[in-house]
Parts: sequence; C-alpha cells; structure tokens
Amino acid sequence: MKVVARFITLLSLLICSASYAATLHMATDADPSSLDPHEQLSQGTLQLSHLAFDPLLRWRQDHTFEPRLATSWKSIDKLTTRFELRREVYFHSGNEFDADDVIYTVKRLKSSVEFRALFDNIKHIEKRNSHSIDIITHKQTPLLLNLMAYLFPMDKDFYQGRDDIVKFGNSFASRNLSGTGPFIITSREPGTRIEFVRNANYWDTKSKGNVDRIEFSTIKSDATRLAALLSGDVDFIFPISPLDMPRVKRSRNIQLVTLPSTRILFLQLNQNRREELKNTKVRQAINLAINQEIIVDKILKGFGTAAAQLSADDFLGHLDSLTPRFELDKARQLMREAGYEEGFKISMMAPNNRYIHDEKIAQAITAMLAKIKIRVDLKTLPKAQYFQEFDKRSADIMMLGWQSDTLDSNNIFEFIIACPDAKTGYGVYNANGYCNPNLDNRIKSANRELNPEKRIRLLQQIESTIAQDAVIVPIAWEHLAWGAKQNVNIKDVINSQDWPYLGDLVID
Amino acid sequence: MKYSVKELSLLPISKQRWKHIWNGFLSDKLAVLSLVIFIFYCVVALAAPLIAPFDPYDPQFMDLENSEIAPYWISGDERFLLGTDAQGRDLLSTILYGTRLSLSIGLLAVIIQAGLGIFIGLTAGYAGGRLDNFFMRCADIQLSFSTMMIAIVFLAIFQTLFGSDYYQQLAMIMLILVIGLAEWPLFARTIRASVLAEKQKEYVDAARIMGIGPMRIMFKHILPNTMSPLLVIFTIQIANAIVAEAALSFLGLGMPVSEPSLGSLISIGFSYVFSGAWWICIIPSATLILLILVMNLLGDWLRDHLNPKIYKD
Amino acid sequence: MLIFLLRRLLQACVVMTVISIISFVIQDSLGDPVRQMVGQSVSPAEIEQIRQEQGFNDTKFEQYTRYAKNVLQGDFGTSYFYKEPALDVILKKLPATFELAFSAIIIIIMVSIPCGIFAAIRPKNILARFLMFSSTIGLSVPIFIVGIFLLYTFSIELQWTPSFGRGDTVLVFGIWETGFLTLDGLSHLILPSFSLAIALLPMFVRLIRSEMLEVLHSEYVKYAWAKGLSPARIYFVHAFKNTMLPIITIGGIQVGTLVAYTILTETIFQWPGMGSLFLDAVNRVDSPLISAYLIVVGAIFVISNTLVDLIYGYINPTVKLASHGL
Repeated sequence: MKVVARFITLLSLLICSASYAATLHMATDADPSSLDPHEQLSQGTLQLSHLAFDPLLRWRQDHTFEPRLATSWKSIDKLTTRFELRREVYFHSGNEFDADDVIYTVKRLKSSVEFRALFDNIKHIEKRNSHSIDIITHKQTPLLLNLMAYLFPMDKDFYQGRDDIVKFGNSFASRNLSGTGPFIITSREPGTRIEFVRNANYWDTKSKGNVDRIEFSTIKSDATRLAALLSGDVDFIFPISPLDMPRVKRSRNIQLVTLPSTRILFLQLNQNRREELKNTKVRQAINLAINQEIIVDKILKGFGTAAAQLSADDFLGHLDSLTPRFELDKARQLMREAGYEEGFKISMMAPNNRYIHDEKIAQAITAMLAKIKIRVDLKTLPKAQYFQEFDKRSADIMMLGWQSDTLDSNNIFEFIIACPDAKTGYGVYNANGYCNPNLDNRIKSANRELNPEKRIRLLQQIESTIAQDAVIVPIAWEHLAWGAKQNVNIKDVINSQDWPYLGDLVID
Repeated sequence: MKYSVKELSLLPISKQRWKHIWNGFLSDKLAVLSLVIFIFYCVVALAAPLIAPFDPYDPQFMDLENSEIAPYWISGDERFLLGTDAQGRDLLSTILYGTRLSLSIGLLAVIIQAGLGIFIGLTAGYAGGRLDNFFMRCADIQLSFSTMMIAIVFLAIFQTLFGSDYYQQLAMIMLILVIGLAEWPLFARTIRASVLAEKQKEYVDAARIMGIGPMRIMFKHILPNTMSPLLVIFTIQIANAIVAEAALSFLGLGMPVSEPSLGSLISIGFSYVFSGAWWICIIPSATLILLILVMNLLGDWLRDHLNPKIYKD
Repeated sequence: MLIFLLRRLLQACVVMTVISIISFVIQDSLGDPVRQMVGQSVSPAEIEQIRQEQGFNDTKFEQYTRYAKNVLQGDFGTSYFYKEPALDVILKKLPATFELAFSAIIIIIMVSIPCGIFAAIRPKNILARFLMFSSTIGLSVPIFIVGIFLLYTFSIELQWTPSFGRGDTVLVFGIWETGFLTLDGLSHLILPSFSLAIALLPMFVRLIRSEMLEVLHSEYVKYAWAKGLSPARIYFVHAFKNTMLPIITIGGIQVGTLVAYTILTETIFQWPGMGSLFLDAVNRVDSPLISAYLIVVGAIFVISNTLVDLIYGYINPTVKLASHGL
C-alpha cells in the first residue's frame, strides 16, 4: 500500500513537473548593458529588473497598481506614506528581504546619476519594524506610488561594501546580481544572450507562470529577429517592425499582440535659431501641413496613434478635443499671412535607429513641408551621434520621442516645455526655445497639487496652451508589438511600458 | 618572383587582329547580348535625368499617398511602371538614378585604380631594383588586407569620426576613393609584368639606342601593348567595384538613402522582404545582378579571346 | 631561409606598427562615447563628471603615452560595453569567426577542386559549361543577396535550418567555445558557412580550371601522356600538384577577403563573431574594442600571409626568395 502511495506521489510529481517545465526562447533588439539595475535608466535595465528583481508595486495592464514586495500602503500625512512589506521573501543569495534592503536601495538610487532625478523628492525612510517603513518626501507629491514602481529592492548584505555604481566600468554590481525576482541569471554573454532559470523559492506561489528556463537572445536586425520566430527558433520576440506585421498575421501559428504605448514622437521647432519660427502662424502652418494620420497609416502601417498633443490617451492631461488636423490650404494661407508665401529653407535632424521608422517619418515630413514651400535640409544620424547633436541644438527642427517615466503628463511638460533651467533640471530637453513663465508656474503647481480634479484641470490647461501656441509638432504615439507562438500566452503579461512580466507567463 | 615565372608573350595587337576578334565577337550570341544589355545600361544611366518620369531627389514628388503601389502589371497604375517605394517615390526613377550612381562610382573608382596602377606598374617595371621591390611589397601588403576589409574599416571609422551628417555629403567621393585606392595592385602588377616582358624586346632596345627618353618609351611604346589585359581588368574591376559599393551600402556604409545607389536601394528593400511589397527589394536586386552578370560575361569573353594573363596574385 | 624569415618578421613589425598608430588615432578621436551611454535625463554637469572620470579631458599627449604603454603590455583598455578587457572580448569571439571561416574553407576545397578539375579536363562537356556559367552567375550575385535568399528559403519557408546564432556550444581546452561538437551547433553552421563559401567558390573554380588548363598544355604533361601514364595519375598527381602553387598563394591572399565577408555573413545570420562585434563596436563608439579589433585582424592577416609565403617556399624550393621583392 505504501509503495503504491509512494508511486502515486512520484507519478503526480512527475506530471506536475512536466506541466511546470517550459523553456522560453526569446529574442529582443537590445539586452541590458549591465546587471546593475541603477547604472542606466533604460528599457533594457527595467525589463531585466522585472525578471530578476521585484518592485514594491507594479502597474497592471489597466494602469492600476498591483502590490508586489509592498503588501499595502496608506498615506499618514501630507509628506509621509506608510508601506507594509511582504514577509518571507528571500533573495537569490538566500538572505531574507526586509526593511533595511529597501532603505539601502533608496540610498543607492539617490546616488545613481541616472535615477537620482526621479528619487530626488524622497527625504528619508523611517524604519518602523523589520517589515514596515514610512517614506517621507521633501514636498508633497501625487506621484509617490508611480515612483515605487521603479524601486526594486536589492540584497543589502550581498551588495554592501562592493556596490559602487560605475558607469561602463567593471563593477561588482554590473556582473553579479541578487534580487528577489522570479528568475536567476545562470550565464550571460553581453550583446548575445542571457540564460535564466526559475527561482525555486519565489515568493509568488500564486503566479501561474510555468516558465522554468529563459534563453534571452539579442537580434538587432528586425528581419532576422522575425525570421527566428517564423522558423521556430524562438518562441517570443519584440519589437516587430510595422512593415513585417502583414507577414506575421499571415502565419497561422504565430500571434501578434499590439498595445498603444505612451511614448510620444514629436518635432521641436527651435525659435532661438530661426526668426521665422518665432512667428506663431508659421508654427501653426507647419502643424497643419503635417499629416499625422497618413504617417501612421502608411509608414507605421496603422500601428500607431496619430497625435495632436503630448499626453497619451490615459494620461491626466489628455484632451479629447485635440485631434490631428491636416489643412494644406489653411497652412498656405497662414504662411502668406506671416509673410512667408515664398517659404524658406530650414535644417532638420532626426535619429535613424532610435524610434520606430524615425528616418522614414522624417523623410515623409520633408516632403510634406515642401508643399508649403519650406525646403527642409534633412540629416539623419545614428542615435549615438544624434543625441550629441541634440545637446548642441544643431538643427532648426529636431525629432524627439518621450516616454513619461511616471506615466504622467507633467513629466513631459517639465522636460520639454518648461523654460530651460540647469539648476532645477526643468526644460533640459527643451529644444524649441519656447519659454512661458505662466506655463512654468502651472507646471510647478501641478507637481504639488494633490486634488485629482484640480490637477487634471491644470494639466489640461497646459496641454491646450501648448496646442494653441503650436510649440511643438506632435506626430504619433507608437504602438508596441510582440510576436509569439500560439502556445505562449503573452497577452496576459505584456504592458504598455514594455516590461513583460515573464514570471507570470504561461506556456501551454 | 612567384608571378614573374610566367612571363607574358603579348604581341602588339594589329588592326587585322582586332578585326578578327570583332568578327569572332559578333558570332558569339551571348557576348553580343551582353554587350547590348551593357550599352543599354550605360545609355539609360547617362540619360537618367531625361528619361526618368520623376526626379527622385525632389521631395515635391514624394507623396505618402502613393506609397507602396505595386508595379504596373499588378496594380494597373500607369504613373508608376515599376511601382513605388515606401515614401511614394517612383521606383523606375530611383532605379534609373541609382544605376547612374552605381556605374559612375564603379567607373570613377576603376579610373583611379587604373591611373595609380599604371603609373606604379610602369615605374616599378621600368626602374626595377629597390623601387620595384618597395612597390611590389606594398602591393602584397595592400592585397593581403583585401579591399572589402579596408573599405569597411575605413568607411566605418570615417563615419564615426566625422559624423554621418558629414559623411552623407561626402559618401560618393569617399566610396570612389576607398574602392579606387584599395585595388591598384591588380593593375600595377599586370602592367609591371608586361613591362618586364616588353623591356626584353628588341624594339625597346632600339628605341633606347635611338635616344628616346624612358617616359616616352613607357607611354608611347610599352603601354599600348598592354591594352588587352587592361581592357579585361577594367571590365571586371568595374563590376567588382559596383558589387563592393553594394555590399558597403548593405552595411550602411554606402550611399545615403536620400541619394540611393543600386546597393542602397537593395539594402532599403531588405526591410520589405516580409512586408509583401516584394518589388521594393526584388527589382533593384535584379537590376544589379543583371548589370554585374553582363559585365562579367563580357570580361570573360575578352579574357578568353584576347588571352591575356592577369596577375591577381 | 633564416634571412628571409627575419626580413618577413621585420616587415610584419612595420605593418603592425602602422596599424597600431592608426588604432591610437581612432581610439583618440572617435566620437563622444559618454553621451550615448547615459539615459535621457542626465544633466550636462554630470556628463562632464563622467568625462573627467574616464580621462577624456586629458591632453592628447597624456592619452597617447597611456595608450602606447598599455598596448605594449597587451592591454587595449576596457570595452565600454562589455566592461571587460577589449582583447579578452575579441578573443572570446574569435572561435565563432574562426569556425565559420574554417567551415567555409572546407566547403570551398571540397567543391572547387573537383569542379575545377572536371571543368578543365572536359571543357566541352555540358556539365562543365553549366559549371562555368553558374560560376559567372555566382560571381555576379552579391554575398548579402545570397545570404538573405538562403535564410528565407531554408529557414523560413522550408524550416530546415536554424536562422540565427551559433546554437549550443561546448567549451574545449578551457578556452575555446566550439560549435563543431554538437548537432545543434553544426546545424547552425550550415547556412552561414555555405553563404560565405558561395561568395568565394566561383573564383576558386575558375582559378583551378584555368591553372589546370595551362598545366595540361605544358610539355611535361604531354610527355607524361606519351609515356603512357594513366589519365587519373596524370590529372590528379602530375597536373593538379602543379596547380597547387598559385592556388595556395591566392588562397592566402583571399583570407583577407574571407574575413571581410565574415562581417557581412555574421550581420545577416546574427553570428556572434568578431565581424558583428566590430560593427557593433563602431555603432556604440566603443573605441577600445575597435582598435583592438584592428590590431587582432591585422595580426591575423600578417600571420596568414607570412605562413603562405613559408609554405610556398617549402613546396617550391626553387623559388628565388630574393625576387620576392625583399
């Protein structure tokens, strides 16, 4: 009898482990440049963080918050928020997770060149007990929870003493990692591939995820990456070029999932460089001459949303009344009124490997502006060189894409629209030369406003002023696209921030 | 000298022999067809601005409304015989201009190769001694690094060094210079070998005794006798130069998208392999392959019938 | 022979010095590596600080002495991207490129010798004509078109072969990652090595054919026929042996072309070798890696050419070394 019982247990174990053993081969266009989660604030780093670490909380697909290492939180006073931390969570090294790790991580974040700006507002953290903390901010902020989605507690005992954040250097943290996340790195060949195995002691036992190994490859060329999926060498790829989507849709055993992202692509019209661009009518004419719908339709193949403002659909500042307008006659008339009927020559720069089809979009814009006799001298550069030129504001028109780190309109306004101010960091990416003190005040007050309704009104006012003054030319929000074999249920784990939660991925 | 073991016996080609060769040529259908196609390419390239329906460099003719229209025989759109690309540019026009660019790059690069090669080859062959040794050593080293390698490294570094912005303006000159400067040894060696062979001949001695200067001997007497190997190398090298340019464009080191050669058209087209708009990739590829093929066939024919020895080693 | 060897070494040193000077110039003047390494919201002051830390603000002379001293010790600096010594990074990728090139060479030898000999001894045969014509076509189709075509046909449509990467590799001798020992690794080799081979095959088939034709017309082959030797012996022993010399010479020179073409092949098939590493390094403005690559590849060329010369001297002792242009 005992033998039979044992046999059954063994059998059931076998069956269980059989259903719990799936290897995911995936390919993306870039891998994280370092294992140090604080070295570079990039998509690659955040994607890795969601595999090997856990945030205090994270966004669900509907942009609400899901508790992760924090189980609950509540506001104590204007500046203090209390977080209860999850118990019985262990790092890959075996150390137990507690409040000290969070305090340690925030301290490290505040010393990171790239993350410092995000975490500037946190004054200090009060440890109440081993699994409860109070976070105290300098100024009151409506965005503290958004920030906590970027806080991935690191293993204090593991890193301490050898935790220098060395940019591009050979630091301990850039090669070693100990987080609480669902996957443990077993081998890594930078620029080529990383291998993960599932963390056997992962705290989230409710997760249905059944991937026990991930083979993460980097394939830069869109065509080769898609070829790898079509030929069955990998199960899951992203991104997918809009051009290739018809081919993906044709394959019966491949699924294509797209989501609108919140990254806005736009043009900055530099008023400091060109007298003509100081004229609001000229800027409006440029806005009217550019046909966002057709760019989305023909170049992005419909995998984008034509934009007439900076705030994406679910951002607080979004105004439904602002829709893309394409009126060539009106544009010509405005040019006439401004005294530039015969047009003028202008320089433009755009990256050619940063945003989806950036170069093609820039070329199309050249052709569109030719219709109102603005002759554009276009230069497209690889991103490494482009951003140097961007810093120098080398051209009259410059293309930029902006993803709001906090999923909030004001982040865009602060960096792009506010008057440049080196001290506060406001307007660091303002390449349009527009400076409106009125607007600046509103941006600042939106940063403190806690009343949601008032805040929405503030942000929407800012958005409509920008549109009225035609400060920039919004083009489109790109859509994100993932492709996978039919048996890989990626739909449930992807999100518009482009951080797939692979710990919860189920492969049938 | 490993190559000088095989000396050339190049007789001056008389008028009669040329006539004989020409008759032979006319009887070879493949060769005639190749020549006809090649001449067609040249004419079309020369006349591109006149016959192209649109000017592909002018943004006025780019209209996204017209993007990715299939060729005439599929779409029935008679404005665009070969269809349009993703920017709504007429593919026929871009191919015409692209062919023009590719041929010009090939031709100019080979003229540089030939000029340099002939000069060095004549000097080395005629002067001999240390100068000869030095030049041939350089040729060895240059060849061992392979044109492609030098071109890739040089262009990649140039692009990073001066920025792609600057590069885009200079792309054509850079390509011509790099391909031109990297392949001189082939010409130089062939010429040198011919010079060595000719130097032994009586008429050169006779000329020298008559007091004719070395320059005059080289250019007036020796050079004309090396014409047939030169002709063969010339044809094949232009084809090679065009292929090299295409490969460099594929790596993003060739002509910019705003002024595409055949190679850059193909490399743009590759992103459409899966999109269903096959013509954007296939038509420029076929144009390039056919051009190279006829040039190689012509080169082969010339080699077989003029029977020169070419010193590739 | 010893003098020949010494002269060769001296020449190799001169070439390597020139390459290392070029490398320094590159190391020194390639774009700003700092800007692209930082994220979107870093202030100029902080960028300046990083520049200072990395030593980008020192004088040219200081930078130069530092570079020269380090290179002599085999230290090319640390790759910005890999965070490892640049030389180590390159040497780690060397096996991939070497195995790709090696497989291509094997394919070239296996295919071009029989084809070339056949085309020479039966020039009128329909198959021989077909071979020659297809070699002309082969010469005319750029390697990247061949690569993409193979990838599309065999990987995507027929799904016979993997489409990218090296597959499973095994570590041998503690340093060498080989794909030769696993089935998966071998299957990943098929497409890249064939497209690399196809790029050079036509040239070798034609070369062998023409050398062979020439030898077949020579006096001693005629003499061998007269002596009544068997055709097989004449073709393969007497005639072919004598075509080896020029083929080895040209083969040695083609190593350069082969390495150049690996850059194209590796790009198409995402082969993690030195070629794609170089292009990546250029894109990332990873100057230590770029200069290390130049020096390593330069060394490979110099060594392979010197070897070919030595083999040449060994096979053909009658060659007058002095006339080598030494």
